[in-house]
Amino acid sequence: MPQLIPFFFFNQLLFSFIILFSIVYIFSKYILPLFTFQQVVRIYITKLSKKN
Amino acid sequence: MASKAGGVAVDFARIYKSLGLGKETIAALQAFRKRNTEAKRLASHYASQPTTVDLEHYRSVLKNKAVVDEAEKVLKEFKPVTYDVNSHLKAIETFETKAVEKAKETEQAVDRELKELRATLANIEEARPFDQLTVEDVGNAHPRIIEAVATMVSKGKWTVPGYKEKFGDLNVL
Repeated sequence: MPQLIPFFFFNQLLFSFIILFSIVYIFSKYILPLFTFQQVVRIYITKLSKKN
Repeated sequence: MASKAGGVAVDFARIYKSLGLGKETIAALQAFRKRNTEAKRLASHYASQPTTVDLEHYRSVLKNKAVVDEAEKVLKEFKPVTYDVNSHLKAIETFETKAVEKAKETEQAVDRELKELRATLANIEEARPFDQLTVEDVGNAHPRIIEAVATMVSKGKWTVPGYKEKFGDLNVL
């Protein structure tokens, strides 16, 4: 039944969405804030050491 | 100078110097010592005085014997007044408990200070040089930075103004 062929890709589609959303979540929650944190800390310690 | 009383010798010079007492305490100690020596001096002075009256001598010297008789009668009837020293003892006891309490408090304060100093010393000894400092160390030292970053991120602010100008940008696009 050739009309059923698209449904065989449902598996792939479902998993790609799951992985995509989990990657977005992990990056936005755990990885990318570290970069902002690093920038803030860099600015902070340069401001501290620039007092002379 | 060690003063000996009742077989107990107190080395005051050592107390003044080695214990690191406060000015107030040393002054109080010195005043106490002064009072003690003064009392001792007075006690020895009065103990050496004669306690009997030679009435026969007065009888032979004075013409008016009746006066001497009367004096003898008064002397025989004299009874020393008994003093109630309990109130004094109580005051001394309260003073002692207060002093002990204060000493304990001081000891605790000194212990606390010592602990803090030890912590500071360990902090100094374990401190890493500036070039080995990590971002986490700074975050641990100032938790407010972590909070600030969390609020920044929750508001969708991912960049720090002035960062690009100072440190450059590695973005290709």
